[in-house]
Amino acid sequence: MYLHADLDAFYASVEQRDNPRLRGKPVIVGGGVVLAASYEAKRRGVKTAMGGRAARAVCPDAIVVPPRMDAYTTASKAVFSIFRETSPWVEGLSIDEAFLDVSGLRRLSGSPEQIAAHLRDRVRDEVGLAITVGVANTKFLAKVASGVGKPDGLLLVEPGYELAFLHPLTVERLWGVGPVTARKLNDRGLTTVAQVAQLDVGVLVGLLGKGQGQHLHALAHNLDPRPIRVGHRRGSIGSQRALGRMNPSRDESQVMLIGLVDRITRRMRRAERVGRTVVLRMRYDDFTKGTRSHTLDEATSETAPILASTRMLLNRAWPMLDERGLTMIGVSVTNLSNANAVQLTLPLGPRARPSVDSAFDEIRDKFGTNSLKRATHLGESQHSIMPMLPD
Amino acid sequence: MKFRCERDLLVEALSTAGRAVTGRGGALPVLSGVKIDASNDRLEVTGSDLDLTIRTSVGVNIAESGTAVLPSRLLSDIVRSLDQGAVDLEVTGDEAQISSGRSQFAVRTLPVDDFPHLDEPSGDQVSVAADELASGLKQVVLAASSDDARPILTGVLMTAEEGGLRLVATDSYRLAVRDLPEATVLGEGQKVLVPSRALGELIRVLGHAKEVNVRLGERDVTFFVEPEDGVSVELTTRLIEGEFPNYRQLIPASYPNEMRVGREQLLDAVRRVKLMAREATPLRLTQRDGSLELMAVTQDVGQAHEEVDAVYSGTDELTVAFNPDFLIAGIEAATGDEVVLQTLDALKPAVMRSTEGSDYLYLLMPVRVS
Repeated sequence: MYLHADLDAFYASVEQRDNPRLRGKPVIVGGGVVLAASYEAKRRGVKTAMGGRAARAVCPDAIVVPPRMDAYTTASKAVFSIFRETSPWVEGLSIDEAFLDVSGLRRLSGSPEQIAAHLRDRVRDEVGLAITVGVANTKFLAKVASGVGKPDGLLLVEPGYELAFLHPLTVERLWGVGPVTARKLNDRGLTTVAQVAQLDVGVLVGLLGKGQGQHLHALAHNLDPRPIRVGHRRGSIGSQRALGRMNPSRDESQVMLIGLVDRITRRMRRAERVGRTVVLRMRYDDFTKGTRSHTLDEATSETAPILASTRMLLNRAWPMLDERGLTMIGVSVTNLSNANAVQLTLPLGPRARPSVDSAFDEIRDKFGTNSLKRATHLGESQHSIMPMLPD
Repeated sequence: MKFRCERDLLVEALSTAGRAVTGRGGALPVLSGVKIDASNDRLEVTGSDLDLTIRTSVGVNIAESGTAVLPSRLLSDIVRSLDQGAVDLEVTGDEAQISSGRSQFAVRTLPVDDFPHLDEPSGDQVSVAADELASGLKQVVLAASSDDARPILTGVLMTAEEGGLRLVATDSYRLAVRDLPEATVLGEGQKVLVPSRALGELIRVLGHAKEVNVRLGERDVTFFVEPEDGVSVELTTRLIEGEFPNYRQLIPASYPNEMRVGREQLLDAVRRVKLMAREATPLRLTQRDGSLELMAVTQDVGQAHEEVDAVYSGTDELTVAFNPDFLIAGIEAATGDEVVLQTLDALKPAVMRSTEGSDYLYLLMPVRVS
């Protein structure tokens, strides 16, 4: 049996926990783009990733607070350690949700439902946050159950009653069905999972293409053989920053890149990973996305070469960005390998010494991320950078 | 223009010249084509990407002389597909007719005037034994980089060394050095940096020839190969400008540890153990008295061990890890029945040599494991 545990309105709940005056009120985290909204705000129509102005239009009395990423990271770490004490099989999906496999724990910890209830109690008592848990015999169904059980709920799909639970739901509940697919299905008169389940797989493939057709057919019958993936190493390490409508200049973008690269390389060094391919991710004014990439001579986790490569990519892309606008900027390093096997190179030329990086890391580890800043980042608060799962 | 040529000869002339053609043509669309010159009972085919130019030439009966540029890939595919025998090619206006037996093709030509004019290199011509140059190039080109971000390392350094020719290449992980004592190509103190891609193409055409003539210019070098029968080839490449790294300082003066091992035996063992070196994990070589132990461990996949007889002298027991592909390249490039692996420690460059002769050196950097 699987648990899907999902913190409710995570950032907003942390704000309400830490500031009693926000409790019971519509709270929006993030001034530009809405990063998170409390349930009170959601009920009024505020949605995540909505523009700030639009959000205030639908909910004029919302209290807007700036994000405190450090607080969210701390809360997430506390919750994840409770997950790990609950089951050895934890697969983190993001900072605020995870799958837990609780099979075989009955004699040790009780039934899946008891484990879920205990997990909820502990998160509330020890971290002060509400968490919704879905319990089912597949990962997919556990996630559906937590979605239905929100907020602050526990929903168990009893073994044997999976399809009875799933089939009356609307197709939007199926994992991988976004607005576009939902519209395609609705246009054919398919609104419930039961209707999708009655279709032959060939019909779905014809309608949605092979991959998605087979995927939905399987999900509608609650076929999801995926086990929990523990300790799976990331294929890339990245960080990004939403820019709203600030339309940064090239210089401003360069400064943001420094911040992103600093963060990524520090994480790489901590996870003992080195990477060879640097990817610049961009979202344009029309919210379409693009990437540019560059492969380095040698896998590294040093800040200098990765930053140089990122800068070159931005400079090359700039004429296009000037035209299409920039609403999100991100960097990721892929082609990762373990730093415990590094191909050495012949000393063909001068090379920057990585000792600056390790000094940087040690100071930040000891005194906190904000204890040491580059001069270009003075006076800037470190907002809009999403905290992430450990690498 | 009108001529008749044997299919096999024409295929060879077109495909060899076509190897200098970059598929897309880039900024200059005419470069996706080959230029065909027919006059004085010789057919010349030229392909170029401006850096590398390959001109092939073959004796044929020319009925009507002329010049045309035709799409390289398409023409080559057409001629290759025809039955063996004579192929007729005739160009009238902007269309070329290719016919053989009952097959007929009409292909639109590209504008001749757009095809770049290529200067002949000026310097003196010297000749070198083709097989010697080919064997030397094969041992060195493999160590050159293919990464255009570091253009210097994509070249092979050719330098005059004690009256002979020395070839050097490095991709910063390996360094290969080969001396050709008999080859006097360069004057005293002269050195040039030749793109390894061009030399790779040169190796392909050296197979049929006895001799290769070299002509060195200011900015380019031409290799001219004329076999007794068949297609003669003139390969001209731009030289790379810039200073090649000082490779001498990279080669340690002496090595405290030396291992001698059968070349085929080692090669077979490395290829086997490599199967378990997945996801860029290295191969670990543990050298001790009387044997060499090879080991590869990939987490979550498995591991492989093999022991090979070896003569070893040096530190009691030394483990060095290498990229298996770099190791294989070095063992393959060394000649003879035995190879010698010389090491300093787990982090310093190691050298692979042949026990026969001292004119080849393959230096490789280890993989640091922790």
